[in-house]
Amino acid sequence: MAEVSVRDVATDAATGEWSGGTFPYRVGHRKLGMWLFIMSDSLTFTALLIGYSYVRVASDTWPKPFQFSPSIVFSSLMTLVLLSSSLTMVMAVMAANRRKKRSARRWIIATMILGSTFIALHAYEWKHLIEDEGVTPAGNQFLIKRTYNDSGNLIAEGTVHIEPEKAAEMEMETVDEAGHTVRYVQADRMFGAAFFGITGLHMFHVLTGVLYLGVIAARIKKFTSEDVEVSGLYWHFVDLVWMFVFPLIYLLSVDFTPH
Amino acid sequence: MQLTKGKEKETHILNIVLTALAVGSLGLAGYVLATGKFKGGTDDVFLIMVCLLAALLFAIVPFMWAYEQGYVAQFLDVGDESEAAAAHAHGDADHEHGITNKQNLVVWGALLGLTAIEVFLAYIQLNLTLMLIIVMGLSIIKAALIMAYFMHLKFERMSFVLTIVPALVVLLCLFAIFFPDSFRLNELR
Repeated sequence: MAEVSVRDVATDAATGEWSGGTFPYRVGHRKLGMWLFIMSDSLTFTALLIGYSYVRVASDTWPKPFQFSPSIVFSSLMTLVLLSSSLTMVMAVMAANRRKKRSARRWIIATMILGSTFIALHAYEWKHLIEDEGVTPAGNQFLIKRTYNDSGNLIAEGTVHIEPEKAAEMEMETVDEAGHTVRYVQADRMFGAAFFGITGLHMFHVLTGVLYLGVIAARIKKFTSEDVEVSGLYWHFVDLVWMFVFPLIYLLSVDFTPH
Repeated sequence: MQLTKGKEKETHILNIVLTALAVGSLGLAGYVLATGKFKGGTDDVFLIMVCLLAALLFAIVPFMWAYEQGYVAQFLDVGDESEAAAAHAHGDADHEHGITNKQNLVVWGALLGLTAIEVFLAYIQLNLTLMLIIVMGLSIIKAALIMAYFMHLKFERMSFVLTIVPALVVLLCLFAIFFPDSFRLNELR
């Protein structure tokens, strides 16, 4: 209903690209509102990511708790799931635009399933970090292990997880079998705050998105195709944020020392 | 943009000045690259990025003008583009925006491919500076793909696109501004 009249106004009143008229952007108010929300939300995420990257790069004791396998393989799977959910959301929007509401509902439900899978995988990862690795927002149990050769040059660096009781007893400077000096230092405590803060806010967005899509799917007969498209915009934005969170948080904290 | 006769001359002068500035910025970036060879570390990278960004910003207005006049379309006369334009003209009523299932799948595949490249780069263990530059670059490409195709920004009005995108570009510039300082802090230790 609104769409038809809106398009007519756009073509009548504003023929040129820049002439403005009554409908300068040729988008409905809901869509414009969602875009404005996306802009302000990207400010929030950018602030967090800039803060994180700043301390990440400035720190020389940043822990690297993610081994390539399983952690990075696992988070790559999460990325695959989220990207695929964007594809199913695109399908839902296309179906809604063709007035096929049943089909749109099915695609939205597929998107919700993929989104929930992402949350489940992420929650599992959190559980692993909290319970097995002892990471909290205020601290962690990682030590940076540095090996130096005879002339005092750094030859190897890695992250080791050592329980606080053991860490209290162990010598922070030893000599290994090859005769190299080994020094341990406490890893940067900002890791937990940055990791849980940023991925937590992102996970909250995914959860909100799943609920939002649930409302759209449940009452799809009452919603127009524009409403579906607007919910799609939100979902793609959540995916877009993950495209920055994944490389900055995961790929920059990979540990390559053999365990 | 319908140009009135009187403003044509000013538009040409503006375009010439801006094109000169864009070429100058590009040249400066090339000069820094050729003489410095990244000896200055992140400072050089930062300077080059700023030059490239300035070149891009200066080039926008002449490019928009060329686009309006149809020169770009002549230059890049790819079949795909005209097809999309035709679909846009005909299929406007059913809100299709000329995007097809196949295009969506291609974009999805490209996003997966770029992610795979990033994971591969993490696997072969590059140093932090290089890794950051490449990863940020690839992420920006991915974000642009998502916004253009999945979020339909490519099929919106140019006035709308130009309202949304600059704000996001500024956010990326903020990233670039803070990195040199954090690298400096790291080197001070």
